[in-house]
Amino acid sequence: MTNCEWREKIGLYVDGELEPSAEQAITGHLQNCPDCSSAVLEQQALKKAVRVAGKRFTAPPELYASIQRQMMPKRSLGLWFKWSALAASAVLVALVAFALLSRPSTSSATVAQLIDQHVTMLASANPVDVISSDRHTVKPWYQGKLPFTFNPPELAAGSPFTLIGGRLTYAQHAPGAELVYQVRQHKMSVFIFQARDVSGEPSAGNQAFVVNGWQQGGLQYYIVTDGAREDADRLRALLQDANRQ
Amino acid sequence: MAATVVARGNVSGVENKDFERLAVPLLDGLYNFARWLCGDADEARDLVQETFLKSLKGFSSFREGTNFRAWMFRILRNTFLTSRTGLERRNTLQEDEEGFEESSVSQETPEIALIRRANTELVQAAIAQLAPAFQEVILLADLEEMKYQEIAEALDIPIGTVMSRLARARKQVREHIVVALGGKRTVGVK
Repeated sequence: MTNCEWREKIGLYVDGELEPSAEQAITGHLQNCPDCSSAVLEQQALKKAVRVAGKRFTAPPELYASIQRQMMPKRSLGLWFKWSALAASAVLVALVAFALLSRPSTSSATVAQLIDQHVTMLASANPVDVISSDRHTVKPWYQGKLPFTFNPPELAAGSPFTLIGGRLTYAQHAPGAELVYQVRQHKMSVFIFQARDVSGEPSAGNQAFVVNGWQQGGLQYYIVTDGAREDADRLRALLQDANRQ
Repeated sequence: MAATVVARGNVSGVENKDFERLAVPLLDGLYNFARWLCGDADEARDLVQETFLKSLKGFSSFREGTNFRAWMFRILRNTFLTSRTGLERRNTLQEDEEGFEESSVSQETPEIALIRRANTELVQAAIAQLAPAFQEVILLADLEEMKYQEIAEALDIPIGTVMSRLARARKQVREHIVVALGGKRTVGVK
């Protein structure tokens, strides 16, 4: 190995920490110095090996749920209450009463039920009955299990959404499908039932979850997620396109 | 992952929502890091929960322009260092750093092929045998893909120390792999 002036910079180069001019210079140097180029390859291989091996542990679902719970009351109360929940309880009761009275009870009950099912899915060791990212596997799985059919959207390469799978679900005594999608670190449940005489679209949810609902082709769809409202809107658009008649 | 710098809202409710949006995606990375630091699942879970509680509480004092991810990892690490396991490991850390000597690695024969053949368990063992000071720096650099500046903020050390620890950590991981595979070629080979 030659005692190259660049030898010391190889770590910085592999980590992308060099100034553009230095990076350009070392790139040129690597063409002519087999020792340095071997050292770069070795550092890259090592970095990759550590990246793969270091990602060893995943946060358990119950930790996610528990963190969400930790954040929930603080978010709905606001930081200005500074944890003094007792002082705020009268206000909270009034808020809850207002929220319940200002929304049709049927839709509130349905939304609450769906949120419960979404949380159960998050906490479950086996969140789905059919595990597949292929919509052509998931859709046929529901055949014979549901009195209706639907189209999971085709996800383009590079789409932030991944289909994890699906399971059977029940709400208001009717069977339905629950499709589970992942978007970044969040999971989204898409619930599909036969539409009934439900007025309005429960698109509000509560403080902790986004619930996005709509009717299409005689079916009632709901998306429930603890993720971003914009993601729910994007997934809704994909589903609406896939089921347009 | 790109560094996230938070633009501060001036309403507490907005801040809380900002906090969740920024912090929850970091949960897996924080847990993985905590698990490596603690070596125990229950302890790692408690550590992450405490980190979230502390950071949520301190979010209103979070300084504009500061890197949020580095800030979260810093809270986690400081919380860990004040725990019983953390105090024990901190003593080990100092001894290891003082006692570390640069060994001359043969540079004539790059062991690229050996490193590529090393299986996950062997590399995990190589990471596990590192002193805590080296372990945390290599995990933040290679796994979390943090820039040196972010690592310096997260670990509260000068950037020069980040670079020297990283170089040493990599050298030790490399040697562990090379010795394991070179010494006994049937072990740890896929």
